[in-house]
Amino acid sequence: MRIRIRRKRQKIQKFFLFTSTVYLCFLLFAAVGSSYLAPHSPTTQNLNQRLLPPFTEGKILGTDDLGRDIWSRIVYGTRSLLLIGTVSVGIALAGGLVMGILAGAIGGIVDSFIMLLMDGILSFPTVLLAITVVSVLGYGLVQVTVALGIVFIPVFARLVRAETISRLTEGYVESSRALGTPFPKILLRHVLPNMMPDLIAQSTVTFALVVVIEASLSFLGLGTQPPEPSWGLMLKESRNFLYQAPWMAIFPGLALAATVFSFNYLGDYLSEQLNPQRW
Amino acid sequence: MKIIITIGLLFVFIPTLSFSRGAKEEKPIRIALSGNPDTLDPQKTAGTLTFQVTKSIYDTLIEPDEKGVLVPALAERWDFQDEGKKILFHLRKGVTFHDGTPLTSKDVASTLKRIQDKNTGSPHGAEFSPIERIETPDPSTVILHLSSPSAPLMATLASGWSAILPAHLIEAGHDFGSRPVGTGPFKFKSWVRDNQILLEKNPSYWMRGKPKVPGVEFRIITERSIQVQGLLSGQLDVIDMYDAIDLPLLQKNPNVKVEKVLTSLVMVLAMNTARPPLSDLRVRQAINFAIQKQEVLDVAYGGGVPVGTFMDASDPYYVDFTSLYPYNPEKAKTLLQEAGVYADRTLEMVLPQNFEPHVRAGQIYQEMLQKVGLSVKIRLVDWSTWISDVYRKANYDLTVIGHTGKLDPDSRLANYGTDKTYVRWVHPEAASLITKAKSIMNPAERKALYSRVLEIMAKEVPFVYVGTSYRYLGTRKTLEGFRIQPKLDAYDFRYVEVR
Repeated sequence: MRIRIRRKRQKIQKFFLFTSTVYLCFLLFAAVGSSYLAPHSPTTQNLNQRLLPPFTEGKILGTDDLGRDIWSRIVYGTRSLLLIGTVSVGIALAGGLVMGILAGAIGGIVDSFIMLLMDGILSFPTVLLAITVVSVLGYGLVQVTVALGIVFIPVFARLVRAETISRLTEGYVESSRALGTPFPKILLRHVLPNMMPDLIAQSTVTFALVVVIEASLSFLGLGTQPPEPSWGLMLKESRNFLYQAPWMAIFPGLALAATVFSFNYLGDYLSEQLNPQRW
Repeated sequence: MKIIITIGLLFVFIPTLSFSRGAKEEKPIRIALSGNPDTLDPQKTAGTLTFQVTKSIYDTLIEPDEKGVLVPALAERWDFQDEGKKILFHLRKGVTFHDGTPLTSKDVASTLKRIQDKNTGSPHGAEFSPIERIETPDPSTVILHLSSPSAPLMATLASGWSAILPAHLIEAGHDFGSRPVGTGPFKFKSWVRDNQILLEKNPSYWMRGKPKVPGVEFRIITERSIQVQGLLSGQLDVIDMYDAIDLPLLQKNPNVKVEKVLTSLVMVLAMNTARPPLSDLRVRQAINFAIQKQEVLDVAYGGGVPVGTFMDASDPYYVDFTSLYPYNPEKAKTLLQEAGVYADRTLEMVLPQNFEPHVRAGQIYQEMLQKVGLSVKIRLVDWSTWISDVYRKANYDLTVIGHTGKLDPDSRLANYGTDKTYVRWVHPEAASLITKAKSIMNPAERKALYSRVLEIMAKEVPFVYVGTSYRYLGTRKTLEGFRIQPKLDAYDFRYVEVR
């Protein structure tokens, strides 16, 4: 009985894993080949074809309040989504690595100072902090990307610091040190490769978070500027048409939910699989 | 067993049924207010939300009727003397404030002095500057001595910010902002910030037999779709919308009726005429030729009437200039070429992001301008940034906004033609005509001057005058007599009845 349940669970797990991967691959494909997937321009208006329901007049997912094709907007929206996600996770990762290794490897007052700074940033609610950074830097795609990158540095910094400290005290590192290996080499050889699994998992989960916050910022009008397509912006625009044209909200919402789910699921799976300690 | 339960339930339900049918409901009128007023002190704000509420709490000396004609309110009658430099108001007798003190000329004088006092900080204070001296020969007469005849002053005295407050409370430094006391049809009961404002009937109101409803409940609901649901589900009696999107939904409901009226707004695409290439008249004309006004009104603003100049379509001073710039993309292209403006010159359109209709309109303009070869980039800003950056500092190329009307044309047109407005449009002739019209009391003469101003503005196009939008008033079918003051947009519940 128990075995059967476990098998069933594994099956479900595999199914989710498969669909998540396929979905994310599809997103990547949509971002690269938007012009092949989207039959219409994402910004061209057609005021005679406003609020068309799905599957009418060649519009698969219908049109919005300005007669723009929703499917095309969703497809083109993947570009800003993946771009923002990748770049801001990149910024967060790079910043986190530098801060974390500095803090973990040097220790002492440097460690206290960096961690105080990181905890300071962490103590703000993420969205609020992102809004603050955006209002300092100005509205727009680039600013949002940088803001989100900065906001997530502490998460990575904490992870990297903890890993660095624990690796540095391990036996093989100590023996390597005793043999006279230079410190930078130890970091590169022993410390960094060992924290890779955790970093990959953390990046994936952070990616999902970034996507949600970018959508929230666009919803608030701080992120992507109209008429460029962004899922958050589409949700914002749909708000007034919920009763007449629910498809305006449903499809970008679904796409967003599926993206977040996929990234989270993949992140969990990766951290389980790649980390031998969690068996 | 089942039968017993059924019978038991019937016994419980039948009395409640007969109860709800029996007594006629005496409930306050519930109306949605689209935001929290900043204060209930009529002399410390310019916010429409405040006047929408305070209209029921305070009275003015005179007030506009449904057509915008000034009729007696607290003043029974008035005379002009000394060629309009002296105005005599004869106050209505037997009017009392909510705290029981009778209204006298002293209250009027103190109120007007309070508005003129710089320390009060009334944004409308400057409108009272023609008043030089206030004389109160007896308790029911007020004489205003003016430095020069002023036509807009009467309209100002009929507006919400000229509400009369009790002198003894002004002297005592009473906080009218949160505990208003007036002579109005309803008394202030409570205000839960961002939630609701409760008013109850003033039984000793000077209009006999009015108000007919026991009170008014302002529910502060910022989201339009929630207001609509509130009306549909019977939790609200009145909603006031600027959008036609929900009309089909409301019309389907048998308990709701919708009324369509013209607002006093002029929706515009404003251009910063101090900045090239918009300083070139040909470019501004090209932009005017490129816009399909009716389409923008229908899609972004829920319908309306196109206008051709800086005055709303229902105003008595309105002159029709819509034929000057019909939709003509070819002409627009030629004009742009003549002016040497090509697609590589990008104009920045700044949009106030809290006004969804303006953002929608902005995107439509962008597309329409793109079609004639003008590239436009959109930047969304929040409302306070719009006010400080666009409206005060003119830091923009194009912007989209609606201009509200006032009872007197001067309040709409004041300062135009000088560099003090946000379009930075300078035209000495227009400016001097506007200043001149201010001191002329003869309506026909005034109209001639304003017609000339409107013609200049229609030809010089510092704006694309898109049109006047509709306002949709959704009410319960049983409710009658609800009014909105023309131009002032304040709610008037005095005539409301529930059938």
